[in-house]
Amino acid sequence: MSILLLISILLASVISMIITKKRFVIETLSLITSSITCITAFLTALQVSSVGTLTFFTFFSVDALGAIVLMIIGSIGLATTIYSIAYLREETKKQIIGFTRVKQYFVLLQIFLFAMYLAITAGSPIFAWIAIEATTLSTAFLISFYNKPSAIEGAWKYLIINSVGLLLGFFGTLLYFTAVASIGEGGFVSWQTLRDNAGNLSPLIAKIAFVFVLIGYGTKVGFAPMHTWKPDAYSKAPAPLGALLSGALLPVAFFVLLKFKMITDLSIGSSFSQTLFFVFGLFSIAVASLIMFNARNYKRLLAYSSIENAGIMALGFGFGGLGIFGAVLHMIYHSAVKVVMFFSAGNILLKYSTAKICNIKNALKVIPTTSVLFILGFLIVTGTPPFGIFFSKIYILGTGIKMYPLISFVAMFFMTMVFIGFLRHVTQMFLSRSSETQEPGEGNVWLVIPPIFFLLLIILLSFSIPPFLEHLIHEVVLYYSYD
Amino acid sequence: MSIPFLQFLVGVLFLTLVFNHLTKKNFLSVVAFSVQSFVVTLVFLHSFLETGNIYIFFMVVFTFIVKVILAPMFFVRLINRYHLPFSVSTYLSMPITLIVIAVLTFMAHSQKFVPLTNIVPPHQIILSLALASIFVSLFLIVNRKEALSQIISILSLENSIVVFAIFAGLEQSPSLQIGIIFNIFVWIMIATVFVSMIYKHFGSGDVTSMNNLKD
Repeated sequence: MSILLLISILLASVISMIITKKRFVIETLSLITSSITCITAFLTALQVSSVGTLTFFTFFSVDALGAIVLMIIGSIGLATTIYSIAYLREETKKQIIGFTRVKQYFVLLQIFLFAMYLAITAGSPIFAWIAIEATTLSTAFLISFYNKPSAIEGAWKYLIINSVGLLLGFFGTLLYFTAVASIGEGGFVSWQTLRDNAGNLSPLIAKIAFVFVLIGYGTKVGFAPMHTWKPDAYSKAPAPLGALLSGALLPVAFFVLLKFKMITDLSIGSSFSQTLFFVFGLFSIAVASLIMFNARNYKRLLAYSSIENAGIMALGFGFGGLGIFGAVLHMIYHSAVKVVMFFSAGNILLKYSTAKICNIKNALKVIPTTSVLFILGFLIVTGTPPFGIFFSKIYILGTGIKMYPLISFVAMFFMTMVFIGFLRHVTQMFLSRSSETQEPGEGNVWLVIPPIFFLLLIILLSFSIPPFLEHLIHEVVLYYSYD
Repeated sequence: MSIPFLQFLVGVLFLTLVFNHLTKKNFLSVVAFSVQSFVVTLVFLHSFLETGNIYIFFMVVFTFIVKVILAPMFFVRLINRYHLPFSVSTYLSMPITLIVIAVLTFMAHSQKFVPLTNIVPPHQIILSLALASIFVSLFLIVNRKEALSQIISILSLENSIVVFAIFAGLEQSPSLQIGIIFNIFVWIMIATVFVSMIYKHFGSGDVTSMNNLKD
């Protein structure tokens, strides 16, 4: 029931926002909607933790991983809404945007959230595909938000690459349907139907289908070499959106991909999907680490960091067992830290009006709180102890070293490269001095509260995981451990 | 409808794709897309006559109205509004393009893809041709430099996938048809807004002029 409530609230909010003509009403509606949906997402997760997979009218279902991703979307959605209100007010003050843009932003933001909730709760792979396609539509308009040639370029590349990817994913999905002898249940093929009929899938079709699905949803996840849209889209989208793209959309696409991995594993064993996860995972880490070293734009730097972390998650899910435990933890920590980093990046952008690393000097003195947040975010995302990502990487690589030492060592080498490359840029941005003087000051307090909250959350989760969350993660490990 | 006639229909779909690779005129490209969509409508009609599934009849009507009439009309309006009689060039020259098409067609008919083309054994030749159409559409997307051509290519890829699904016996699921309708809807929306924005900001539809974003 809560699933339907969640979706209805979002839909009602979008319609109300389209009708209204007052900025305050739009902001309040957006805030209320995000708060209610966040609470509903957590309540749903608690329910899943206690009673197991929730199913509603066969059209909707939420399993353990779905519950975790729902919480990620809910919390990041709320934080993004709070931050966006303050961020867009600052941009309005600077006369960068007007009322129409603000209205457009919040409507699209809620549609984006709605589509992500739908993708996670959809009981059918086709509905999940439609929802993911809907995220493309809403985010494309958000990426081109500033209506500048570079923003249009970023949005166009995003659209073309993702649409082709998703069409290939659609083709792959159709191939899975060959497992279902006669399309029963009124033509509705659910995830469960596919899972139950995985044994009927021809092994060769299962392999081809998984390749298509991996390319399709892997494009949305941002695996190299399908990652090229990511730096362009992240750098041109409004800063708050980066947190949602990296922190929420990535896990959503990963979630759908893992569902297909499970069906494939049931049909032909886990070695095929495992090999592909290793290839794409390792390649993503390598590509990201090499490009990050010479990055010139800090928002693009964060995009490459997302590609690297998607690769790490792929390795974790590929290794299996404790690797899956590490991958799910990594997904949670990565999403949270990307909120800290993208919001900090937004604050830097507001202060310096540039996203070029070479133009950011002496930031530690100019915007000290934001700088500390960004530096801590860098330490967390690169896996510095004692933060959570350090432990999730230990779980993943620890599992990998036992069975696949070469893959683990190569991954470790590139992760070290990422740390060095990132450190180089962070040093330049926050510790280098400049003769030009920027007026010190953080601006609106609501620009720093959401990232501080998420930083505290990561620190808390690094040392103590709530029992219900731990239970959900264990459920995921059990569900996705084929062997 | 007999198997040879269905083969002929899918052959027409394939040829419209080859034609779109060769033509330099945007208007002809739109006409080819319209013909291609009409073929998809006929294939849906065939499926409806065989199964009597009402959802498929809905798809016949929808595909005809949106893809055969509305989308081409919209594309022609764009061509007229922005004075785009000729498409910008392709990445590969004409002879190389033809060689690649031949290789892709050969690939689709090879033993490697028999698991896919043999899903419904009586339709093997048709499925091979539909698979070749999918490959050629993908190549069309990457080989064309113009935004409008890229949109037509993506819609052609979708047409090819739909035809493949129908002959693989997967068309009966209503959720599948909702997926198709949604995708068409998305692309009409995108085409409406983005193509206009691209022509406004870049002065042409040449996507190679989009080179602001680099590392």
